[in-house]
Amino acid sequence: MVHVVMATGFLLILIGFYGALTNRNLLRMIVAFTVADTGVNVVIVSVGHLHGRTAPILDRAVAAADAVQRIIDPVPQALVLTAIVIGVGVTALMLAYAWRIYRQHRTLDIARLTALKG
Amino acid sequence: MVINALHILATGLGAAFLTGLLGEKRNGLAFMITLGALAFMSAVSAGWLVLFAATGAHPMDIQTAGTPPPFAIALRMGLAEAALLTLINLAGLFAAMHMGETLLARGRRAMAVLLVMVMALCGLVLTRDLFNLFVFFELIVIATGGLVLLSDDERAVSAGFKYLIVSQFISVLLLVGIVFGYHATGTLNIDGMAEQGSGAFVLAFFLILIAVAAELKPFPANGWALDIYESAHPGFAALFSAAAASAALFAFDKVLAIGGAEWLPVATGIGIVSFVAGNLLALPQTNDRRLLGYSSIAQSGLILVAIGQQDILGEHYLFIAGGLLLSHAVAKAGLYWLSGFVAGRELTDWAALRQRPLLVLAFVTGIAMLSGLPPFPGFYAKWELVHLLANEGRLALLGWILFGALVEAGYLFRWFGYAIKRESSQTIDCPPDRVIPVVAALLAGWALGFAWGELSGRSNLLLVLPLLFALAFLLLEWAPAWLKNILAIGGLSFWFLQTWQDYDPLRLIFLVIFTLGGAIIFLASFHAHGRRVGFYPSAMTMFAGMVLLLQATDSFGFFAAWELLTIGSYFLILRGKESEPHALSYIVFSLGGAFLILAGFAIASAVSPAPTFALGQLAMLEAPVAPWVFLLLAIGFMTKTAAIGLHIWLPGAHAEAETDVSPMVSGVLLKAGLYGLFMLLMSMGRQSLYGVDLVNMMLWIGAITALLGNLMAIFQEDAKRLLAYSSIGQMGYALFGLALMNHLGWLMALMFVINHYVYKSMLFLSVGGVAKRTGTRAMYQMGGLITLMPLSFIATLIGIIAMSGVPPLSGFGGRWIFYNAIMDADTRLPMVLIFLSGPIAFLYLFRLIHTIFLGQLKDEHRRIKEAPFSIVLPQMIYVAILMGVAIFPGLVLRRVDAYISQFLPEGALNWEGLTITSQYGWWNPVAIMIVVACIFGLIFGWLLFVNRKAQKVKQFNIVFSAERPYRPETTHFAWNFFAPYRKAMGFLVQPFVTRFWGAITDLLHTAGDLGRRLYNGNGQIYAFHFLVFVVVVFAFKAGL
Repeated sequence: MVHVVMATGFLLILIGFYGALTNRNLLRMIVAFTVADTGVNVVIVSVGHLHGRTAPILDRAVAAADAVQRIIDPVPQALVLTAIVIGVGVTALMLAYAWRIYRQHRTLDIARLTALKG
Repeated sequence: MVINALHILATGLGAAFLTGLLGEKRNGLAFMITLGALAFMSAVSAGWLVLFAATGAHPMDIQTAGTPPPFAIALRMGLAEAALLTLINLAGLFAAMHMGETLLARGRRAMAVLLVMVMALCGLVLTRDLFNLFVFFELIVIATGGLVLLSDDERAVSAGFKYLIVSQFISVLLLVGIVFGYHATGTLNIDGMAEQGSGAFVLAFFLILIAVAAELKPFPANGWALDIYESAHPGFAALFSAAAASAALFAFDKVLAIGGAEWLPVATGIGIVSFVAGNLLALPQTNDRRLLGYSSIAQSGLILVAIGQQDILGEHYLFIAGGLLLSHAVAKAGLYWLSGFVAGRELTDWAALRQRPLLVLAFVTGIAMLSGLPPFPGFYAKWELVHLLANEGRLALLGWILFGALVEAGYLFRWFGYAIKRESSQTIDCPPDRVIPVVAALLAGWALGFAWGELSGRSNLLLVLPLLFALAFLLLEWAPAWLKNILAIGGLSFWFLQTWQDYDPLRLIFLVIFTLGGAIIFLASFHAHGRRVGFYPSAMTMFAGMVLLLQATDSFGFFAAWELLTIGSYFLILRGKESEPHALSYIVFSLGGAFLILAGFAIASAVSPAPTFALGQLAMLEAPVAPWVFLLLAIGFMTKTAAIGLHIWLPGAHAEAETDVSPMVSGVLLKAGLYGLFMLLMSMGRQSLYGVDLVNMMLWIGAITALLGNLMAIFQEDAKRLLAYSSIGQMGYALFGLALMNHLGWLMALMFVINHYVYKSMLFLSVGGVAKRTGTRAMYQMGGLITLMPLSFIATLIGIIAMSGVPPLSGFGGRWIFYNAIMDADTRLPMVLIFLSGPIAFLYLFRLIHTIFLGQLKDEHRRIKEAPFSIVLPQMIYVAILMGVAIFPGLVLRRVDAYISQFLPEGALNWEGLTITSQYGWWNPVAIMIVVACIFGLIFGWLLFVNRKAQKVKQFNIVFSAERPYRPETTHFAWNFFAPYRKAMGFLVQPFVTRFWGAITDLLHTAGDLGRRLYNGNGQIYAFHFLVFVVVVFAFKAGL
């Protein structure tokens, strides 16, 4: 099961990369990146998963004393949270950029933004 | 007392939030908070730096959340971290100052983003946690995305987007790598991972490493970075290059520690490719900021090489990598801030800087730092790096580094030439908020130079008296030229008096020429009016280099002196009106030669364990190292003496220089190369490589140089160019004499050292004086000046008599020794060439008298006066010296003769009274003088007698024979004077060598131009470049 999830994650990453490299529209590229980001998050979660264990929340269900044996690794989960936040930030920034580029150049075609080169 | 480093991060973050809490209208207050926060962060970092530097304390780990890693994030503060933080925060502070206007206009949000950027860079340096590293990287990405938009350049928006695209790819790889690394090791702590090694998660580690490497903008995955460099606000570009690149390099170093030694070649490989490619691609750039961007990429590559070589750098690692890094960061920040003063974006627009000498000084400091010239940290770092590479036999890498450095120096100095020589209509205004950052970078550069000199364990160049004296003239730029001239002459004379007793006779001769000889030429400099800004620091740096060269006992001192005299003379030559391209070719050839010398010394010292390599140790080298060292050093020195094939820089450089500069660089500076050759041959003697006798090769090169140099001289129309080509020929003679490797050959070479100084300085001055008065250097535009400029005529006449080697002047003595020397040698064929060049020399010398001083006076020259007194005075001194040396050659030569006998006892001369005897004959200068005087007197008297009734033909007399006396130049009889000779021997002087070097330059430019096409501006293609880069590096690692 873990491997299926992980494979799905990598597949999402590859789809995202493919989309970002083949779509010339800025908005489509941004969407592709969010797909790839999701893939990364899925991969991270799958890495932290341990078979037959429960969520890393210490409450009545899991006592602190035997938590080490009963919960999955909490660190990847924390990483995913951070990664999601950062991903949202970057996506927002890219969208703002796309809007600004469109306002300036009246185009969303990446291949036409080549004023700087060489 | 130092403050917890966490406060640096907290201050940055807190101030960013604080500006957010202020109202929209309180921009002034927000800016004050920003500056205050950055200043506080700088102060805290500097406090740590002082602590570590003063006490040598061990790095300290700072725990967060009261828990040790791996359960919480740990930070580390050590010497390197403190230095980097100081750099980053100061760069942030001055960048904020530089961008003050823009920040105030855009408001508090922009300031908050800047604060976050600086804070994140600090975090990147401090953190020991891999995921934390990722977070800081992403913060930097977001902040960069924001700050790019501060630019007025509309194209910055697309540049920022391209950056975001690539950074998305990078962050995906980084995250995947981190999580699998964590999975394998159970920790996110870098040190924890490093303990376990990357063996269990090779692929994940590769992803981490390659992602961090991509932040260094390696070639070719860097198109986005170049676009940012070009279009961003220069204040931010400075931060991006100086601080962001430095922090990323440090992060790379941290991450690399996880992988261990087996990954070092990856760093080296990425580094050297980026260094060479970055420099090549910078070559065809015309946009200043893009060029600086390429240079940043190259420099990051070089530092990456140092990181990759840390296994052999040992205790020098921080010194080398740190020296390169700080040099680059400070220089690049300064240059980007400087670009804010220049309105246009072409390199030539930098000519505007010329209005402000302070800015020019900052510019040249930046360029010297980037090129690794003394006395800046890059120089010391490069020295150690090259030596350690040679020690380990990593010669290919060494070669590529020197090649890249030469290309870099080429385009940087070409740019500097534009700034000094081109025209600009822009006026520069200097608001303090823009000047302060530049001045800060300038001061930091010199301070770092001092610090690295102290740390180097070698002599600190900024504490060496002659160089300090030269630099002191920078502070005297307000003073009138005559005052500085007196100081310069005084300084040279003082140095001579102080040190002359320390030298053996051979060095003493060079010392006399370098100091007193220079002082005599400075007499001519009294003709200049005004302040002559820039002349004295340059000239005195050159002289400082020369006297230090004589003083040097180890290879470091020698090389440092060599570079100093090269830089000083470059600035001097650049002062000429038309000298921009010639100064460039001079500095490129000279630095190329210097790099060969560096490589030679490095290889030589590889076999000796001592940290310093005394020059005398050259004698102890053995094959197979010795001949290679000999070859490298010999080519290096022959670049300076302009041996054929390496000579093309000389004619332009010497001819286009100012009147008093030409004799300095010709009469004095060329002797530095001869001194090097003397030193080399004395210590190393004969060497052969693959059965070829290298000294014999030098003999041939000397002979061919003498022949072709003279031959090229006879076809010149420009009097100063004629003299310049003649110098090539004369140096050929000297080289030939040295390579004879017998007693008289060396004596003769030394005689050439003295003679060439005297008559070439004299001739350059008299021709320079004539050119000054007539306003032209083309000889066919002159004529009949004998009556108007009699003193110049006398000097020229004496000069050419001395030079052509006819009796009775000292040139004849030179020839006499020379012919004796030839009789001693066994090689006959090159001698034929040398004999042939004698009469050829006479052909061109004759023209100086014939075309300039005899013949008809040109109409427009009728009111010409004698050259200025200050230019004539040294010439008269030279006339006196020539006479003196002609009558009493023994004064000087006798002692040298005895000295040379130590090395080559065979064939010494016998000095009895006024007669000098060799095994082939004798020479009595006084007798010859009397004989020649008698013959001259007789013939002259007889001519006067038979012509007593002759009618003087005036210029317009011939109008009566229906000829116009004033003709277009091309029909002037003195134009193309030696046309028949050209028909016969012209094929020998076809510019083959010029074409050869031209083709090489074109090739490099073409390569650079082809490389540029990679960067077609499309952000997707840039992302594709990154993926290709990942694959290639992976394949490289797999193939190791």
